[in-house]
Amino acid sequence: MKTTITKIFHVEENIDRVWEYLADPTKIVTCVPGASLTEKIDDHNFKGKVSLKFGPVKAAYDGKITIEELDVANRKMVLKGAGVDPKGKGSADMVMNGMLTEKDGGTEVNYSMEVSLVGMLAQFGSRLVNDVSDQLLNQFVNNFKNKLKAEATAPAPAAAATDTAASTTGAEAATAVAEEIKEGAAAVAEKVAETVTKTAPATAKESVAQTEDNSLNALSLMWAVIKGFFSRIFGGGK
Amino acid sequence: MIQQKTSKKICGMGHSMRRKEDNRFLQGKGNYVDDIKLPGMLHMDIVRSPYAYAKIKNINTEEALKVPGVVAAVTGKDLEKYNLHWMPTLMSDTQMVLPTDTVMYQAQEVVAIIATDRYAARDGKEKVIVEYEPMKPVMDPHKALDEDAPVLRTDKEGQKDNHIWHWEVGDKEKTEEVFNNAEVVVKEQMHIPRIHVASIETCGCVASYNKVDNHLTMYMTTQAPHAIRTVIALVAGHVGLTEEKVRVISPDIGGGFGGKVPVYPGYVIAIAVSFLTGAPIKWVEDRSENLQADSFARDYHITAEMAGTKDGKIQATRFKVLADHGYTDASANPSKFPTGLFSIGTGSYDYGTAYMEADAVYTNKPPGGVAYRCSFRVTEAVHAIERMTDRFALEVGKDPAQLRFENFIKKDQFPWKSPTGWEYDSGDYHAGLKLAMDTVNYDELRKEQAEKRKRGELMGIGISTFTEVVGAGPSKDFDILGIKMFDSAEIRVHPTGKAIARFGTKSQGQGHETTYAQIIAEELGIPAEHIQIEEGDTDTAPYGLGTYASRSTPTAGAAAAMAARKLRAKAKKIAAHLLEVSEDDLEWEPGKFFVKGAPDKAKTIQEIVFASYTNHPQGMEAGFEATHYYDPPNLTFPSGAYICVVDIDNETAEIKVRRFVAIDDCGHIINPMIVQGQVHGGLTQGIAPAMYEELIYDEEGNILNGTLMDYLVPTAVESPHWETGHTVTPSPHHPIGAKGVGESPTVGAPPAIANAIVDALSPYGVTHLDIPITPFKVWKVMKEKGILGGKPV
Repeated sequence: MKTTITKIFHVEENIDRVWEYLADPTKIVTCVPGASLTEKIDDHNFKGKVSLKFGPVKAAYDGKITIEELDVANRKMVLKGAGVDPKGKGSADMVMNGMLTEKDGGTEVNYSMEVSLVGMLAQFGSRLVNDVSDQLLNQFVNNFKNKLKAEATAPAPAAAATDTAASTTGAEAATAVAEEIKEGAAAVAEKVAETVTKTAPATAKESVAQTEDNSLNALSLMWAVIKGFFSRIFGGGK
Repeated sequence: MIQQKTSKKICGMGHSMRRKEDNRFLQGKGNYVDDIKLPGMLHMDIVRSPYAYAKIKNINTEEALKVPGVVAAVTGKDLEKYNLHWMPTLMSDTQMVLPTDTVMYQAQEVVAIIATDRYAARDGKEKVIVEYEPMKPVMDPHKALDEDAPVLRTDKEGQKDNHIWHWEVGDKEKTEEVFNNAEVVVKEQMHIPRIHVASIETCGCVASYNKVDNHLTMYMTTQAPHAIRTVIALVAGHVGLTEEKVRVISPDIGGGFGGKVPVYPGYVIAIAVSFLTGAPIKWVEDRSENLQADSFARDYHITAEMAGTKDGKIQATRFKVLADHGYTDASANPSKFPTGLFSIGTGSYDYGTAYMEADAVYTNKPPGGVAYRCSFRVTEAVHAIERMTDRFALEVGKDPAQLRFENFIKKDQFPWKSPTGWEYDSGDYHAGLKLAMDTVNYDELRKEQAEKRKRGELMGIGISTFTEVVGAGPSKDFDILGIKMFDSAEIRVHPTGKAIARFGTKSQGQGHETTYAQIIAEELGIPAEHIQIEEGDTDTAPYGLGTYASRSTPTAGAAAAMAARKLRAKAKKIAAHLLEVSEDDLEWEPGKFFVKGAPDKAKTIQEIVFASYTNHPQGMEAGFEATHYYDPPNLTFPSGAYICVVDIDNETAEIKVRRFVAIDDCGHIINPMIVQGQVHGGLTQGIAPAMYEELIYDEEGNILNGTLMDYLVPTAVESPHWETGHTVTPSPHHPIGAKGVGESPTVGAPPAIANAIVDALSPYGVTHLDIPITPFKVWKVMKEKGILGGKPV
């Protein structure tokens, strides 16, 4: 199954700096919640990992990331990722398109992600995948902005690795809630409260080294998914 | 009318006797496969493929075997050593038990984990690592026949494309000629989608091989235990499992609907592992496995055409089918009928020319093609003919009821030869439709509809006047793997006049324990409550091909009557002996023989039976026992007239079934209450594909609704109030004039609903909608036609 999500957001940085960040897989990939780079093959090819959890299904993909297009003149890049769950639960393919334009003294980032899933994740997550992906991309945007800002103030590339861990926790917390939603609307209120109290301390603990933003992200991600779910049930537009 | 020849005490045919089996079911005391617990029993769980089409590069079970409780992991390579990695299907195709190198559909079995309990098995399953090399699957059956489509069944020698077989029936040239010269020709493309047989109980087994006695007992969710035993003996005879060493027991079954006819890989793996280990192996599917991997039903893409005259006389039909069978043809059809009884598709109408053809293709979907509560593809055929009849009526501007009346086969035309070769036994289609129209108040509804149309309100009336063909079947045409499709009954009456009767069929909820007892009560006058019915154990029951395709009453029900009649003939001899009169002087009334003109001189059946053990005439065999194997001379042809009334919200497109009247004609009725219950259940399984159910796959081969969260099975909430009734046109060739009813409503309901919804939208140029017709589908059509919010006609 395929899902495409597009985001347009603004950053208060000049386009060259943003481009430098966007065009560097070692930086951009670590903004993706749950993703990390494990090996650089050459300037355009990398190996990496992504872990995701949708409802009852966890999947960790080992894969290859390739820079398909790097158009410096137009500030456009296309990144392709292909991953396989080493335990045989399925595979995921992703195409990321990024484009930058100068706007209001800063930079407008036009970003889209097309994800194609095969296997258990697609089966069980088909109704959730849009919501969760959308929220993951939101989190990506925040990570992107924060890192850019952090680097601007105090460049510390070491942060990337730990940041990933925290993001994963966020994604898992969100999907854990999504899983509970499946169990029935009646129990949701109670479950949510329970999950929030369960996950919040854990998130805080695991992200001690992190900025406040990441634990906040975990909560907002959960709530956004829940909100999306209920607004659909009660006819709210999406 | 329903006839009752026996007293309420005897409770023969026509009495609404309460179901004898419900006593245990309602108390939760049924005994299903998952209730079977044997000493030393191990549990099996199955790792399934996430890919629809992939090469298996490596399977690593090392970590799985370290999980506490896990005792074994079985792969295709393991089974290959015993040549058990492939098995034959009922349609003479081949199916993997476990793959050695390639997986062909998502959720296919890949590795079996054996453990001391179910939880350990599942934990072990999580630890299995399978490396795949995914390939692009073939999901669209139309594209499967493209020249550049990859050939999926490379394992089959000589297979150069994805085509399985071609089938045709009828007169092609004559049909073409009628079509070429016809005043009116209508044509629609329709898809009868792939759906799931959602029985409450999933499939499973306990395979218990006893090494000492070299004997296999197989407790199994099967609708056809005898056939399964024969199949096991045929494929495992060479390792010593000859037929007398195999006992198949089908205990209580929680719904079959055709889904428990096939042999699934899980059964075979369980047998193999039990054979190798000597331990009993239990395998029970979970809900998602049942939904995703078990045999599907339907999935016919039909190009349907009807030709006729401007004044509404049907002259010919032509159906062309593309059948998506998944990766192997594992349909459950009689051997000579690759499309089942699809050729019944000329329906209840009198015209002489038809041509039907079908081509089956392989795709990367689960195998199957079971008869989902229908007599082998009859549902697909009835949907096509009933939809096209309405389509034709719309084209010629005639009321669909009127058009049907004018085209029906008339009561006095039976037995009627259909253009595709069937001989319909009996029917009174005019009476059925008239009763349905009177019940629903048809003329008033049409008036109401005309007024609503003026106000832009959407109301539709749909009719389905179907003919079923059930009771497979006569031995000249019907066999499964060579075994003729007769069925059997064995009645043993004990000295005190109480009886046990055993059958080759197997109830899955149909109420056989009650209805068979009533048939015997009718014939012998022994109260039905004193007749114990047993089925499902191949060691004790007489041979028969099981229960599906509404065949139990037409075959085993007939066998019950015939065996009982043998006993009544014996009873008469004994009575003559006891009363010291000639047999010719005796007359029968339910429960006793009496001397003509002297009703006091009588012997009850109980006295006669007692005498057969205590004082039987010299030269006569003692005891009171009879067996009959019934080979039906023809199939039976139940029919029905269904009318559905829908209202569609012209803003939200919500579809509300306001009325549903179902008049069934299943010949003589054995138990009106059970018939009504069957009809209620069947109608609900008719509204299911019409409005809710469809197995959806994406291009990558993912099933997108692989759980009951997403696959919509209608519940009591979605079920409208069913109004049922009947006409009675007995089958002339069946010993008790019964025809079978279990499947009529499932077959007849979908087109009534589809016709009603299309009727509501027809003023706006809508001529056809594929089922399931969901509110979203209707909403899109309404948007496209610009009628959201209402548009007066």
